[in-house]
Amino acid sequence: MTATGNGRLWDRIFEPGALSTVFQPILEIRGGARAVFAVEALTRGPRGTNIERSDILFEYVRRKRGEARVDRLAIAAALQEARALPGLPGLCLNVHASTLEQDRTLPCWLCELAEQSAIPGERLIIEIVEHAPPWSGRNFLDSLDRLRDLGMRIALDDVGLGQSNYRMILDCRPDLLKIDRHFVAGAGRDDDRRAVLESIAGLARRLGGRAVAEGIEDEEDLAASAAAGIDLFQGFLLARPQSGLRMREADEALARETAELPQPL
Amino acid sequence: MSPQILIVDDEEPILSAVREYFEPLGYGVDCARELEEAEALLAHVRYALLIADLRLTGSQSAEGLELVRFVRERSPWTRTILLTGFGSLEVETEAMGRGVDAFLQKPQPLARLAAVAEELLRISP
Repeated sequence: MTATGNGRLWDRIFEPGALSTVFQPILEIRGGARAVFAVEALTRGPRGTNIERSDILFEYVRRKRGEARVDRLAIAAALQEARALPGLPGLCLNVHASTLEQDRTLPCWLCELAEQSAIPGERLIIEIVEHAPPWSGRNFLDSLDRLRDLGMRIALDDVGLGQSNYRMILDCRPDLLKIDRHFVAGAGRDDDRRAVLESIAGLARRLGGRAVAEGIEDEEDLAASAAAGIDLFQGFLLARPQSGLRMREADEALARETAELPQPL
Repeated sequence: MSPQILIVDDEEPILSAVREYFEPLGYGVDCARELEEAEALLAHVRYALLIADLRLTGSQSAEGLELVRFVRERSPWTRTILLTGFGSLEVETEAMGRGVDAFLQKPQPLARLAAVAEELLRISP
């Protein structure tokens, strides 16, 4: 059996429509004003399997050493779903660093696919996830340059944990540093966590980027993150992941309500 | 909250039989059929107990030993039972060296398996 195997579960990933996408907003909050800064595309595995959950799906995929193949599949599914999203601001697409190292044609393929989906490259944010070195080969760095040349922004996921470390930050020079929920959860009651948030937010600014606090689940952590100098937030407290259909319905409902409001004379 | 169990075997009838026996006893049961699937689950779900077959892909394989090692490194709160129809003192010694909690020969009455599981979970830290 090859590294990527031929098991039945593995094969199910590649059945038409097996991967689906939900979207979780990243909100920009300044003072009392809230706006959707971007949405992150989150991939779900085949329904009714053990790998339906995104974290388990990609853990499985990494163990099968199939990141490059499945990353493309997940991106294609996300762009297909995202093309009908209303007023799409930015769209975060997760890509393994190892995929960028191995798959040299990914930037061009991604650009063409985005064009077909009528999503400008400038709206795409490539969110780099990684769980194992090596990532910093020449191909990886070239791929980042090409993505930037095509107008895309770079985000680094899980900052503070594992391979999302200072070296990765220097290699990627990310536009967004997404702080892992481990440091965000409980920050409202923990001075040390707040110190970590302040440190990363300051580093992001110094590097010309912005920090995102992930995993916001209560008001205390939201306030602590804001006090640390962060103004981009993601988490269940603000918005749960939802399907493209639900996002469209919500947008249409809002439009109807707005239309029914008395118009100013 | 009911203890969560992961059962790993490449034979569907065994998975079904163990699940059908354990669920009415109050356990939550997940089933996996291959090494990588089991490891992905163990990395993200907190299981009280792993029951794994020694061999998942053929007569010379020993994925069960890999799973015991994985649990000791990544999921130390999980108790482990290794099942095998091809037991040998050598394999049992290696399994014990990797920290398995119980090593049982197949076939094994489900009542006996449940008794071992209950005992392990009773003394679980």
